[in-house]
Amino acid sequence: MSRLIRLYEKKRGDRRTGLKSVGNLGEALFFGLFFSIGCAGLVYMLVALAWPEWRANRQFAPARCTIVDKYVGRATAQNAASLYRPEFRVVYRTPEGEYTADALYDVMGLYSSDRDAVDKLLAGFEVGQEYPCWYDPIDQRPAVLARGYSPWLYVSLLIPLSFMLIGGGRLIYTLLHWNTSQERRALLNQRTAQIDLFDAGSNHRALPTVPTDANVTNSPGTTLAYRLPIATRSGWVLFATTAACLLWNGVVAIFVIRAVGGLLRGEPQWMLVMFVVPLVAAGIGLVAYLVRQVIITTGMGPTRLEISAHPLVPGQPYELFLSQAGRLAMRRLEIWLACDEKATYHQGTDMRTETRRVFQDRCFVRTDLEINRGLPFESRCHLRVPPGAMHSFQADHNEVIWKLVVKGSVIGWPDYEREFQIVVNPAPTAAI
Amino acid sequence: MWLAEHSRVYRPGEVLEGYFRLEEASPEQVRAVELSAVWHTEGKGEEDLSVHYFERLEPASGSANDFTQPHLFKSILPPSPLSYSGLILKIRWCVRARVFLARGKELTHEVPFQLGTVPSAQSVTAT
Repeated sequence: MSRLIRLYEKKRGDRRTGLKSVGNLGEALFFGLFFSIGCAGLVYMLVALAWPEWRANRQFAPARCTIVDKYVGRATAQNAASLYRPEFRVVYRTPEGEYTADALYDVMGLYSSDRDAVDKLLAGFEVGQEYPCWYDPIDQRPAVLARGYSPWLYVSLLIPLSFMLIGGGRLIYTLLHWNTSQERRALLNQRTAQIDLFDAGSNHRALPTVPTDANVTNSPGTTLAYRLPIATRSGWVLFATTAACLLWNGVVAIFVIRAVGGLLRGEPQWMLVMFVVPLVAAGIGLVAYLVRQVIITTGMGPTRLEISAHPLVPGQPYELFLSQAGRLAMRRLEIWLACDEKATYHQGTDMRTETRRVFQDRCFVRTDLEINRGLPFESRCHLRVPPGAMHSFQADHNEVIWKLVVKGSVIGWPDYEREFQIVVNPAPTAAI
Repeated sequence: MWLAEHSRVYRPGEVLEGYFRLEEASPEQVRAVELSAVWHTEGKGEEDLSVHYFERLEPASGSANDFTQPHLFKSILPPSPLSYSGLILKIRWCVRARVFLARGKELTHEVPFQLGTVPSAQSVTAT
């Protein structure tokens, strides 16, 4: 039987065991239940809460009522805690006659665990006094002493609505993809992406999967055709390091203050001191790393790289123009053409990325040079992507990335690297 | 399934042409056949797949009746992505036939081919 109906699935290499239809059924049932819970919750909240409140505000008739009695109504919650609400006995007159009835403060009549708030509300009403009230004109009751809308009710409608959206959306997706092949699903996704407003044009490009070079060619150079944009990675590293440094040292400072306070009072907490010392050491290490990153990012002066044409085609020659500003005594300045493969995958619940370099070629090197402030080092060189090389490729989980890397080795400073992403197109006619 | 008179190495823009047929298949046994030309990735990353050509043949819709007769499929190949054999990423092209049989069973047959002639990647030590 277990061979006929496999309720669970194992992946064995490229082969999967299990019956897809059973998986689809389970998924449809799960999200159908999700959707049903949302529908039931929404109907309950509308019928039991929103509708009575709307009627009390829009359809109840006004009257004057005399309070005969007032008291705290009690109920018991599921966890056996006591709940309270204000309740009244009132006399009011309608065109149909005079009624003596139990009345609530508002039509919702919800219980609260806050006894003091309920007592305070009751204290606002005097027995024997007359107050405005509203009653249901259909059967002359119930009467309420206050009207108004409850904002929390309309906010909480988002809960069943989110259940409906998530459950319903996924249910529709499952039904649409029921017993469809991998290719048909991919085709549906491609067509959906084509009508995605934010992804417009990506699937209509002349070169599918080759990334667009719009962010390169929109910046003209001063010497050559285009100024290449610097990869923002170094900025993010600096931001992440600053955030980590502030967070870590902020937390450690709390422990340090307590430890130092104890020492100053003559009541040293040695366990705390021993605990804090390695944390402080790590904090100092983080600060040192942050200073190094700041120096690398800001202290070297800007690097400008311009190219004679873009996108690149394998086998074609291109000219590069390098400009390095700052006041630096450099051991070495290089430009490398590099190609990386980048793969993204799940490992457990983590998303991981692995990068492997598959090509690198030094296009330019200059050793022992001095750069003076206000007089940037400038030089030209030639660049050629090898004939037959793989083009730039970008899919959801896999990429082939071409880039130019400027590497600098400065006397008395940490080495630095600046990356400039480029796009390599396939050669127009690849010879077979 | 076979590709028409070709070495299975194609240039971008070239016509991919082939035939498909089922041996000993009665119309009652086959619910549908899907023919597709796809590229997909293999390697360290999760699989990416894209469909370049897709055709579904269903006896019920009248698009095909006798699967024992060769069915011609034809498509102009795109300029990219080219077939690639990298270190942690491979891009493979293939023609795939998926046969949907009665009682929910499926048969799949693939004929791989190469688009372009990108040489295999070599490992490089970053300097």
